[in-house]
Amino acid sequence: MSDSESDNEQKYTLEDLEGSDAEMLSADEDGPIDILTRQKVTINNEAALKQLTEKIALPTNIPWSETQSITSTQSISLVDPDDDLKRELAFYNQALEAAVLGRDRIKKEGGVFQRPDDYFAEMVKSDDHMAKIRQKLLDENASIQATETAKAQRELKKFGKKVQTEKRLEREKAKADALDRITTLKKKRQGDSLAGGDDDFGVGLESDDESPRAGGKGQKRPSSSSVDSRNKRHKKDQKFGFGGKKRNQKSNTADSSADMTGFNTKNNRSSQFKRGHKAAKPGGSKQRPGKSRRQNGAGRK
Amino acid sequence: MATVYKQQKSKKDKADGVVEKSDAKAIFKNKQRVLLLCSRGVNYRHRHLLSDLENLLPHAKKDAKLDSKSKLHIINELADLNNCNNSIFFEVRKRQDLYMWLSKTPNGPSMKFHIQNIHTMEELKMTGNCLKGSRHILSFDKNFETSPYWILVKELFTQIFGVPKTSRRIKPFIDHVISFSIVDNRIWFRNYQITEKPVEHRTIADTTDLQLVEIGPRFVMNPIRTFDGSFGGQTVFENPEFVSPNVVRSNTRNAKAERYRSRMDAIAKKDEKLKEAVLPEDPLSEKNVFS
Repeated sequence: MSDSESDNEQKYTLEDLEGSDAEMLSADEDGPIDILTRQKVTINNEAALKQLTEKIALPTNIPWSETQSITSTQSISLVDPDDDLKRELAFYNQALEAAVLGRDRIKKEGGVFQRPDDYFAEMVKSDDHMAKIRQKLLDENASIQATETAKAQRELKKFGKKVQTEKRLEREKAKADALDRITTLKKKRQGDSLAGGDDDFGVGLESDDESPRAGGKGQKRPSSSSVDSRNKRHKKDQKFGFGGKKRNQKSNTADSSADMTGFNTKNNRSSQFKRGHKAAKPGGSKQRPGKSRRQNGAGRK
Repeated sequence: MATVYKQQKSKKDKADGVVEKSDAKAIFKNKQRVLLLCSRGVNYRHRHLLSDLENLLPHAKKDAKLDSKSKLHIINELADLNNCNNSIFFEVRKRQDLYMWLSKTPNGPSMKFHIQNIHTMEELKMTGNCLKGSRHILSFDKNFETSPYWILVKELFTQIFGVPKTSRRIKPFIDHVISFSIVDNRIWFRNYQITEKPVEHRTIADTTDLQLVEIGPRFVMNPIRTFDGSFGGQTVFENPEFVSPNVVRSNTRNAKAERYRSRMDAIAKKDEKLKEAVLPEDPLSEKNVFS
């Protein structure tokens, strides 16, 4: 190919490049963007490209299985190439189409496609590597499940709180009702006392009062009011104390430290004054004999 | 010696008028061997990608790292020594930018791509697996038929990435497909395992009983230039949209430096302003009156 021909083939698409160059210039200086100092020349020598393709091309009449190359029927056109999901789906579909067509062609040419299950050979990825992949998948699943359960637990907790507040409100309402009932009773009693009917007061109060108390929380065990248990409680209170301040009870006060009733002079006498101690009678007869004498004495015995 | 004999014989045949046998084309064999090598200064990711390609292409011959990045024509000789008629060369610059040369040695053409977004097979995200040495199906996007350049790319890829029937160490089954797609004027490389979908997972919407699982590696090839020779010669195609990674990096660095520069400018302006703002000495000031 001569030089002149290649020059003709070269396309000078300056319009395409002006944008990028203009940006570069505007970044450098503030002046007008009329002067382009450097121009990039696009080379797309189509004739040469065609010639090269012809030069290296394989003959067209060879069986397909020599190259196993398939061109897709639909071209990929993506609006946004940064959209990972759509892009990968397009690639997947393209490859899947090739796989399906390829299998048909191979079967037509009488080849084998799928590897039988009992055919074992070296794989591209080692067993160790596949085990790692499996472990990672398992770990991922486990972490997903853990987050799911945590989320459910959190929801449950929220719900539990709702139940709790409902219960509290209910209890408060019950209390208010009881109070209401008491006030109405009081009013009733006032009305009764005015009327002079004293006798049925006690009966009426008890009969009205019994029902809320029966279901109440502060219901006493019947045994607690028995004579035995009351005596026991009294004893215990005497022994351990009941009520009152618990703090500083064990620390000394001026009185307690001056109190000498618990002190036994006899037991706490200093050794000097104790009778019967060896310090009191130096050189006493009960002094231990010397070693040789002891040994001789033992031999004698 | 044999070639000389053959040449002489063919000459003689021609002279004698003996017609070549017509079935010469019928017994054509697609013989491709690929020399696979990289330059010095690769990082682990590039190295893994290279070994992945070696695993996937049973007709590839891996060679030692090439010392030089300027005298690439020696790869032609290396390929010749290894009986290879194709070569894939990983040129690494600054220990981070990977350029891939694909070439038909020794006469060309050759192409240079910038490789981006590399994910190797080592990564645990891709769960597929395939036989080592099984021949794959090559899947090309229809966009590869739109211009002479893409047609040439497709032809070259078919020869370099397609595993010939006669190559050694191949296994008789086909369990993966390698796909090339053109999106955003770049070529996206994907490798999928072909499996049969279990019957219980099939739905009515499925058109086929096959499904794919990605094996890896995946990368994006951004075309830079195409030469009519092998590792040299005249440029027949140049990508006008290609921006060197150095430019990209310097742009980001400059953007970062812009803040500092503007602050320094502001300080300088303030200093100048203060210098200009000095008042002339007052003749009635205390200092002048009482000295």
